[in-house]
Amino acid sequence: MTALLELDGLTRHFGGLTAVDEVTTHVGQGELVGLIGPNGAGKTTLFNLISGFTRPSSGAVRFKGEEITGLPPHQVAHRGMSRTFQNLRVFPNMTVFDNISVGALGALGVGAFQSVIGGRKRSHEISERSWEMLERVGLNEQANDLAANLSYGKRKYLEIARALAMEPDLLILDEPAAGMNHSETAELSQFITELNSEGLTIMLVEHDMSLVMGICERVVVLASGRKIADDTPVEVRQNQAVLDAYLGGDDE
Amino acid sequence: MLDPYYLQQLTIGLSLGMIYALMAIGFTLIFGVLNVVNFAHGEIYTIGAFAGLLMIATFGPPLLAVLLVVMAVGALAGFGLERLAFKPFRRFSDEASMKSRAMREATLMSSLAMSIVARESLELIFGSQFQSVDLSYLINKQIQLGPVTIVNGDLIIFAVALVMFLGLQWLLKYSTIGLSIRAVSNNPLGARYCGINTDRTIILTFVIGSVMGALAGILVGLYYGAIYPSMGFTPGIKAFVAMVMGGLSSIPGAVISAMILGITESMATSVVSSVWADMVAYAFLLITLVFFPQGLFGARRERV
Repeated sequence: MTALLELDGLTRHFGGLTAVDEVTTHVGQGELVGLIGPNGAGKTTLFNLISGFTRPSSGAVRFKGEEITGLPPHQVAHRGMSRTFQNLRVFPNMTVFDNISVGALGALGVGAFQSVIGGRKRSHEISERSWEMLERVGLNEQANDLAANLSYGKRKYLEIARALAMEPDLLILDEPAAGMNHSETAELSQFITELNSEGLTIMLVEHDMSLVMGICERVVVLASGRKIADDTPVEVRQNQAVLDAYLGGDDE
Repeated sequence: MLDPYYLQQLTIGLSLGMIYALMAIGFTLIFGVLNVVNFAHGEIYTIGAFAGLLMIATFGPPLLAVLLVVMAVGALAGFGLERLAFKPFRRFSDEASMKSRAMREATLMSSLAMSIVARESLELIFGSQFQSVDLSYLINKQIQLGPVTIVNGDLIIFAVALVMFLGLQWLLKYSTIGLSIRAVSNNPLGARYCGINTDRTIILTFVIGSVMGALAGILVGLYYGAIYPSMGFTPGIKAFVAMVMGGLSSIPGAVISAMILGITESMATSVVSSVWADMVAYAFLLITLVFFPQGLFGARRERV
């Protein structure tokens, strides 16, 4: 299994606080990896470091064998990594269809100036791709509604569709089940498994342990910025360090 | 039967409104995307007029060529303005600082500073008085239309404003640049993660808005035969008022408001002295802010 994403001693300090501390791990092609940890463990910071939003203090991120440390988010996106957000970032005043089109457009990685010329064929590609994704998440009937008018759950799927429209090699999902009820979570986990079985590599941050433990092949556990476990769900569940971290530990 | 006098005033009001609209479109576009007021828009207008003036004085090419050069100068000025007055304050890309008041106020000040520098430099070079324009370029040939008289400039300005307005609507709705402009205006961070180069999109927005501003400047300069360094001030204020009346980030709203403003002003001159006509705009601004804080057309529509 070749590594699609490699993190090498990734560290980030905020003032005196070390939010992410020497994290080294990898995500293999086609894997479905979960990232868990108690509140404040550094999960979001780690995601931000991977997707180019925050620059690491030290360490490196390699994607498809190429170093992408410190690249701005749009360039990371062009290389085939797309993500969704814990607090949704859909475009509220645009239609559902246009929202997805932005993803399809971004994936082409064309400069704004190139897009002035010869946009016809490209526009066609974009709209075809967007319709495909709309159907995929079952939002085709709401294609012309404003994203702001969608229900919370549908906006989540919209964001995933937008990320998929970018034809990513790696999809990063930041707490996709947050705010969902039981049956919605079940539906979502089925959708994620389905995407993964089609060959898409997925990295998932989640609070909902049952979701992560249920669908991931491998789970990375962070606590206080450090990686404390990196194993199959079954092993992680019995890992003493993980139990301590989640139950508050006895060293505090 | 309407009194021909009022019909004439209405015509004047329409063309005045068109001029304000020309200015307000670019202004509103920039506000819609960045959520900042570009105080230097009036100076882009002045720079456009002066660029045209210099072209006419040195080469005397056909009007269309003058307009093309003015547009190019406007594009360049917009690019420079964004780099100098706006880009330096976009250092932090997290959401909190992008929406912070400090950010908005800093660019308010820096664009105001740019506008002062531009205006004063033009005064240093050209003096503050009206510049003489080759009379054959003026677009004030009279045309009699039944009971009212218009000039060919009215038609030209109407045509240009219409093309700009419709062109921009088309661009925003159907082109890929429009798609990225709307995405950036909706959620800059989300757009970045979708692979949109936000920096370049913002530059392009400035360029488009400034091309329109510069074109407005030369057209109005040739319409009135009055080109001078502080010419951008009053139309800048009117465009601002139109933008506020229209609900801040709605281009159609700003255009309709600009027309209302123009017509009301010209009608007002038949009741009060023309010196007081400017008060109309300020009265509208006050009324809008107090009674219609969402703009005259109520609920928020799609931005940009």
